Amino acid sequence: MTAALQAALLVFVVTAAVATAVLRSALSSVVAFGAYSLGIAIIWVFLRAPDVGLTEAAVGAGVMTILFLLTIVKTDSPTVERTFERIDYRAAAIAIALVLALSSTVFALPAVGNAESAVASDDVTNYYLDNAYEETEVKNAVTAVLAAYRGFDTMGEAVVVYSAGVGLLVVLNREVFG
Amino acid sequence: MSDAPEAAGTGATYVGSPIIMATVRVVMPFVFTFGLFVMFHGADSTGGGFQGGVIVGTVVLMLGIAFGIGATRDWIGSRIPVAVVGIGVLAFLFTGFGSVLLGAGFLEYSVYHELGIPHATKYGIEIIELAIGVIVAGIVTGLFFTIAAGVGGDSE
Repeated sequence: MTAALQAALLVFVVTAAVATAVLRSALSSVVAFGAYSLGIAIIWVFLRAPDVGLTEAAVGAGVMTILFLLTIVKTDSPTVERTFERIDYRAAAIAIALVLALSSTVFALPAVGNAESAVASDDVTNYYLDNAYEETEVKNAVTAVLAAYRGFDTMGEAVVVYSAGVGLLVVLNREVFG
Repeated sequence: MSDAPEAAGTGATYVGSPIIMATVRVVMPFVFTFGLFVMFHGADSTGGGFQGGVIVGTVVLMLGIAFGIGATRDWIGSRIPVAVVGIGVLAFLFTGFGSVLLGAGFLEYSVYHELGIPHATKYGIEIIELAIGVIVAGIVTGLFFTIAAGVGGDSE
């Protein structure tokens, strides 16, 4: 049952991704991209990464879709006669070759939930799992790693978000309000 | 497929719809509460400051879509999101370097225990989550307002 659901989700995600690339209307592409993000979010939950899934659903499917929509409203869209973009076969061949080359690494990954994989048997992982609650008093080990053990990295991320956001706002404001 | 937005090029992005307004009025408090829940409860369950901040920011996006982006920006003020982001970063830095000033390592929350704060580590992490949430919510709101007011003449 779960395997069938996962297979269906994978097909859905790949279809949505291809649709994003080949649909001619920008609005359709944005909608297909939102569907793709939602599918990926559910796949993250299947892969036992609900924190990442929640981020993907909120940012990828929610906020990004709205920002894209706002952007294409500002553009002149040509009247669309064809549903699909004409495909450049050389570019498509290169893209498919790249996907195949990257896919060859997939077989090197351990199976999902494999107890003997390098990640599960690693000393650092087990240190976090054994000590996170006593040392930080939070039950979500992901939060313990992000905000306590790797707090300096998280501060760097926060400052990156701050600088990127403020820089973008300054540039856009100059464009808009002169 | 073929009906690209009719309003393209005219700059008229806002069309008042009683259905959207009523829906947003009903849904908004729940989304806001859920965002705060994800932010505060990230320490014990799925979620955290980043995800919660995005969800809280989404509330402003919903308001903008329902009641007009220009009107929402005037109501909130275009400087508030940026100020909020700055406050979030300062709160993070203050918490981080505060523990250094007290003689411990960077973000070593347990040192705040000496100031009489119970469960200093847990509450320290909560403050960091809140700071991250405030940063992300401010950036999402600010980007939304600025992109909506972008080139093409926003006459709202």
